[in-house]
Amino acid sequence: MSNLKHILRLSITLLLITAFIAAALAGVNAITEDRIATIQADKTQDAISDVLTFKGEAVLLENTPEKVNGVTITAVYETSAGYAVQVEPAGFGGGINMMVGVDFEGKVTGISIISHAETAGLGAVAAADTGAGEAFRGQFVGQSGQLSVTKDGGTIDAISSSTITSRAVTEGVNAAIACASRLKGGQ
Amino acid sequence: MKKQFMEGLLTKNPVLVQLLGLCSTMAISTSLFNGIGMGVSVTIILICSNVLISALRKVIPSNIRIAAYIVIIAGFVTMVDLLIQAFLPDLAESLGVFIPLIVVNCIVLGRAEAFASKNGVGASALDGLFQGIGYTVALVIICIVRELLGNGTFGGGLLNGGEGIQIIPADFGAKILTMPFGGFLVLGLLIAASQWLVKRMEKKEKEGNK
Repeated sequence: MSNLKHILRLSITLLLITAFIAAALAGVNAITEDRIATIQADKTQDAISDVLTFKGEAVLLENTPEKVNGVTITAVYETSAGYAVQVEPAGFGGGINMMVGVDFEGKVTGISIISHAETAGLGAVAAADTGAGEAFRGQFVGQSGQLSVTKDGGTIDAISSSTITSRAVTEGVNAAIACASRLKGGQ
Repeated sequence: MKKQFMEGLLTKNPVLVQLLGLCSTMAISTSLFNGIGMGVSVTIILICSNVLISALRKVIPSNIRIAAYIVIIAGFVTMVDLLIQAFLPDLAESLGVFIPLIVVNCIVLGRAEAFASKNGVGASALDGLFQGIGYTVALVIICIVRELLGNGTFGGGLLNGGEGIQIIPADFGAKILTMPFGGFLVLGLLIAASQWLVKRMEKKEKEGNK
């Protein structure tokens, strides 16, 4: 009998602690939930207006993630000026979450990196608001078709010592271009 | 209290002497902003979990203490994580997964087991504060060295619109230091320096006693 009592005491103590922590978490979540959702939505909208100059609203077309050639297409938005495709190629330090603008002619209008885990000072240059970062991202503007970095015989100058990151970004752009042309063809 | 403070800062510094929580230390100590953000987050979590665990130390049966500690720590970490995401989105982006990973940071569990479970609430709160300060100081020093020698900047993420102040031209930066193994090099040298300081202080104390 005392054994049962002991077990009950253990489980009830743990249950009470867990219940208390869960209640506290629910409280904090209630305070922060809306703010976090707003911040995420703002980030996406900012990224879309970064890569496309459009009038009106960006309409969400697809948001079921699908994987094409190793690149995850997270969401596709349609605007008056073209498509904004959110892609996530695999970089050096994990997925690179980026937005690519593609106009109705299939030309890239701009790219914006929303979040990434690339090495600071190397791959992270791709996302930085510095001259080097802007120069790297600027290379994609106006391009179409299948792109690759110079090392692979293409036209995109990779960030020095960051071929993997540069390749990943290029693959992300390729996936976005392909996705946009597929959407346009379907119309 | 002074002894506790010196223990946290130097003689029992969580990073430099206990070598706890190195995973996140190596991963995020690349800019001043990260170091301060991570240090303050860990300090807050340490104080909260130490206080609650100390308050419950007579209620928690020893068989399930680790489970109870982890639940408490995970609760506080998630709260801090949500608050940072909501109110400091830049920091959340920069620290990424390492905030949730504080749950398994051995500093917090280590202090719960080694100190809070045996001492009163007040002393445990102070222990959390001082250990947290020790962690933050060590982290900030590593951050400053790695950022300055690796990228040539000071105050990245904080000063000069997040770019940091360029002190050494970026091309001369030793990029190796911005990577985790460069972090270990800096940590090793810092441990050596702190040991030297401790030895020197002990020597002085002995001479003073003569």
